[in-house]
Amino acid sequence: MSELPAELTAKPLALIGVTGLDTVNNAIHRLIWDAFSNNRRPDSAAVQFKILSNAHEFPTVKPKRNSYEWYIPKGILKRNWMNKYLNDIPSVVVIFYDLDWNDSMWNEKKIECASRVQSLRAAIEGRSTKIAVVLIQHGAPPQPGAEDAATTERATALCAACELPAKSLYVLPHGDHLLGYTLRLENAFYDLAQNFYHLEARIVKNHRDHLNKTTHQYLFVRHQFKMGFLNELKQDQHMAHKHYQLAYNNLLDIRMVDTNALEIKTVASFINYKLCRLMFNLNLPRDAISQFRAHTDRFKLKVGPKELMFEHHAWMSGQFSTFAELFDEAIRQGLPAVQTQHPGYYFQLAAQHATLRQTACRDLCKDVNEYPEPDPLAGQDKLEYYGQRPWRPGKLSAEPADMAREAAAIQALQHKEKTTVNHSMIIIGLLGHAISQFKTYRCPRMRRHLVVQMADEYYNSRDYGKALTLLMHMLWDYRGERWPGLLTDILTKALRAAYLSTSLQDYLTLALEALGPTSCLPKDHQAAIYTNISNILQKNIPNPEPHLPETTAALAMEKWNIIVNKSEPFVITIDANNMATFMEVKARFTQKTYTVRSNVTIEVFIRNLYHQSMEFSKVSVTVNSPGYSSEFAVSDIQDKPVIFQEKETKKFLCQFQARQQDVGNEIQISTVSLYLGSDSNRCLIMRFSALGGENNVLDRTYPEIQQIRGSVLEFDNMRPLVSAEIEQEESSIKILADSATPGLLGEWLPININLSTSEQVASARLSIVLVPDGGNDQSTELRLSTNTKQEAGPITVDIPMIEKDQAIHKIVYIRAHSIGNRNIIMKVDYSNIEEVTYSREITYNLPMVKPFDITTQFYTTLFEPISKGFVYEPFIMMPNIICSSPSPITIIGTCIELGDSMQREDEEVQESALSGITLCNGEAGSEAYCIIPKAGSEQPASTGVYTIQWRRTNSPTDLVTSSSVTLSPLWVEETPVGLVAKLPAHGSVRTPLCVSYYLRNYSDYMITLQLTMDASDAFMFAGQKQVEVCILPQGERKIEWVLRPLVAGSVALPMLTLAMPSGAYIYYNNCLLSTQISEDDHKVSRSRLGEMLERSLPSHIYIMPQSQSV
Amino acid sequence: MAVCVAVIGKDNSPKYIRCSDETAALQFHYKVHTSIDIIEEKLNTGNKMAADVRELFLGLLFSTEEHKIFGYATNTKIKFIVVLQSTNASLRDNEVRMIFRKLHSAYANAVCNPFYVPGDQIQSKGFDTAVMEIMGVS
Repeated sequence: MSELPAELTAKPLALIGVTGLDTVNNAIHRLIWDAFSNNRRPDSAAVQFKILSNAHEFPTVKPKRNSYEWYIPKGILKRNWMNKYLNDIPSVVVIFYDLDWNDSMWNEKKIECASRVQSLRAAIEGRSTKIAVVLIQHGAPPQPGAEDAATTERATALCAACELPAKSLYVLPHGDHLLGYTLRLENAFYDLAQNFYHLEARIVKNHRDHLNKTTHQYLFVRHQFKMGFLNELKQDQHMAHKHYQLAYNNLLDIRMVDTNALEIKTVASFINYKLCRLMFNLNLPRDAISQFRAHTDRFKLKVGPKELMFEHHAWMSGQFSTFAELFDEAIRQGLPAVQTQHPGYYFQLAAQHATLRQTACRDLCKDVNEYPEPDPLAGQDKLEYYGQRPWRPGKLSAEPADMAREAAAIQALQHKEKTTVNHSMIIIGLLGHAISQFKTYRCPRMRRHLVVQMADEYYNSRDYGKALTLLMHMLWDYRGERWPGLLTDILTKALRAAYLSTSLQDYLTLALEALGPTSCLPKDHQAAIYTNISNILQKNIPNPEPHLPETTAALAMEKWNIIVNKSEPFVITIDANNMATFMEVKARFTQKTYTVRSNVTIEVFIRNLYHQSMEFSKVSVTVNSPGYSSEFAVSDIQDKPVIFQEKETKKFLCQFQARQQDVGNEIQISTVSLYLGSDSNRCLIMRFSALGGENNVLDRTYPEIQQIRGSVLEFDNMRPLVSAEIEQEESSIKILADSATPGLLGEWLPININLSTSEQVASARLSIVLVPDGGNDQSTELRLSTNTKQEAGPITVDIPMIEKDQAIHKIVYIRAHSIGNRNIIMKVDYSNIEEVTYSREITYNLPMVKPFDITTQFYTTLFEPISKGFVYEPFIMMPNIICSSPSPITIIGTCIELGDSMQREDEEVQESALSGITLCNGEAGSEAYCIIPKAGSEQPASTGVYTIQWRRTNSPTDLVTSSSVTLSPLWVEETPVGLVAKLPAHGSVRTPLCVSYYLRNYSDYMITLQLTMDASDAFMFAGQKQVEVCILPQGERKIEWVLRPLVAGSVALPMLTLAMPSGAYIYYNNCLLSTQISEDDHKVSRSRLGEMLERSLPSHIYIMPQSQSV
Repeated sequence: MAVCVAVIGKDNSPKYIRCSDETAALQFHYKVHTSIDIIEEKLNTGNKMAADVRELFLGLLFSTEEHKIFGYATNTKIKFIVVLQSTNASLRDNEVRMIFRKLHSAYANAVCNPFYVPGDQIQSKGFDTAVMEIMGVS
């Protein structure tokens, strides 16, 4: 915006003049002035206050023209006009005067005030500037509504004296609320001002009738511009826009020739500026943009005089940058912009035109070396009209003026352009603006393109260092874009910049990349670059890059001379990861894991993509492991340089021993380095990552179709493997544990441990320990032999020496008392003959199960199942062994140890019925014991402990295990009366048989019982049918019958019933019962007697038929 | 007629680029490259709104004083870019669409070649002919 005058770009504000305020000496006046002029809020009226001194001279009014007939305008816009209305001609002049209504000197003061008004009126003679009077009053303000007759009268009188309308008299009470009063006054003045500008515009409008199209074209533009400007001062933006638009259209009607080209373009740019700014303000951004486009399209071909071509480009550039700034300003005010329409494009175009200007200047001004005398440009700043030439002001005709003068002026302008304008800085500045805009609107590629242009400009301005920095950054970005053409372009530029700025490291980096496959440099250029690399390495000056400016190239060569001939050797390391250079490198470990002290082998594949052979002095691999990194040279070259033929791929091996420190860690191939140039003197190290870089772009884009490519080359197919693990080496001792599984509870189970070794072991120690499972640790025993008691703690066995391939056999015994899994750790610590100790351990898992289950069943002597026993009544107890061991077991013997209250019926020791029996899984064995309980109890009585001696049937050893089981307890009840029947096993029909029943009284009282023998059809019997017996305490009574069976078969015996005769006493269940107590007790007793009969007496007997022969 | 025709792969690298004026090729490369910015932006916003029925023709991407750049993106994210002269005002939107349709079918024919590996540069006489026709060089 630098080219636009300040009065144009300033925001037009209504000018209000202020007199009568002595701000220097009067504090009250100062306060009032501050209230008006300071504290301006954005929403307050668009006015500007200006203090007019008494000596202020208003611009003289030009004599009014009655006819424009003979008037020929000398230009379009006068330079002073806008400034006049902005700063010199107030729309309103306000006279401040200290006067109270009740002032004692009222009359004198009134006259003084009137004279002031009169003198002001004289000063602004001929202008329609409004006059207003403000009385500063110190008295209390009158109450609103309380109209004071005297006040009204005095006000009228004052107005009359001053010849002012009543509306133009204001009162400013000086007291509280000063700001409120000034605000209201300000608005009143603003109204007056608007009125003034409206009138002024009308006056200008009235001139139009006098104009004609042929001679007054300039005036049409001028008048419309004035109306536009006055409306702007009036803050009527719509009207202003309309008039500016008309002014612009009128301007386009003017024929443009070389002599007026500058003036028309200058005015056009002014009007265009006003138009665009108004349209952005009126929120018509599209209109603004299209107005601007039409503007530039229209004027871009109106070049003007050819000798001053650069002026046109400067003007175009100014148009674009001005519009871009307007646009940017509008965006800051809240206008949304989009990616395809934002100020960046205009800044870019501005930069483009600035470049054209530079080119034009270079072409046109190259021969201009001196400034003409006398200065044809003198008086440039004092011209009456905008955009006119100082050497021929006001000349409108298109005819060539003074030719010599014209030529001198052009030379002066060209000289000025050449010497005073820094084109590059303008271009770079504009590009900088554009770059930041494109960055904001997400156009990264556009931004990069502009940065490259900026670098070009730095290059043009010979700031090679900055150009190089920018280009190096861009090179980085463009590598990722994979546009070979663009990359080559930047690479070429960067090479030139690097050469000229003699940056050794950058030049070499760029040179290496230039030789690579992604650049499309011609082969001879590549060859030249390669020569330069070797030149530098051999202390020679590199040859200049092609297309360098000769003068600077010579300078650069001198600097190179110094750099190259430095005495100290230099080593330059270049990270080749991020660039696509001419060598490709991949490396891999041959295995994923290596054991300690074995040889780690790395295969390195290197491919030369350059079209000539390359020579390297050394190839090395850097391997990283946690904590350190080390570099290994590849093994198959011994200080001989490696030569790669064109497109040749070579494979190298690199070997080293895996270190003990790395056990369990990962080692990585971090870089592969190629050394160019001899090691001692000066050398260039290219560092590659072993992954082969990112050159294989297609792998990333179309991984699914890579097999189509069908490359047979080893290099392409090789997958890098850059990390490997180091493991502890395989132990030479093997531990094998074996046992019958599962283990059975209670047995001593042998576990066979076999140690075998593949190398000689000097000494070893085997330790065996049980993994505690958190439960009862006492439930498992571990011993070396079943006989000796082992102290607690792990079992250790020292083994003195094991020969190679010799096996050591050890047995350890385990006994468990609860089921579940047992884990046994067997560990061997050993040392080989080199006294290096190793250890190896295994964990042996052993499940434990029960060998058998034992249940107990109880029966009466008649083999009826019972749930309780009776004292002195024998019953049968059967322990039942159910085998649950998966392997068969053999029972060696059993024995029983009866409970205290139990007694076997026959005391002689009998051999177990189960001895020698083999039970498989699921099979069961049982034996029976006849037991007589001797005492009853409230609790179930313990019946006894059953002990089984057994062993595994298939066990090679004859270890016998003895397992004891507590048998189920049994309720034993006391009973007062016992009955035993003695009768033969069988009888024969019609053969009498003798039956005797023994009744026993177990109590200490005499019992009286009534026996009744029911009659039966199957028998005739002799004996008492019904009898009452008395049994003495602990006594026994025998009752006999003789039965004569009548039928054969299993015949029911005659029923015997027992009853208590009434009046009898029995002692029963430790309490004395009386028959008199109740019927219930009697009944209980009866039912108990019934139960007793049922379990003691056989109900049937076998009767054989009578033998025929007898 | 078109002054530059380019085919851009889905990784935004050029698969084919041909200019009528080979001496200014670099400038066209830069222009085509920078217009990818706008294509990417258009494709991104397009995906958000209606991914299914996408208009392949992207319209005018960019216009400078001399050139207008039009874009077109296939469903496989292959982009076609055509640069027209700004002075050639007679070419309407519909005609530009026709150009792209021709280009798309020529491209489809070229990649249907069983010896063509996707992702490679396009080297096809048929495609060349079609492009030349579009550029009005033939």
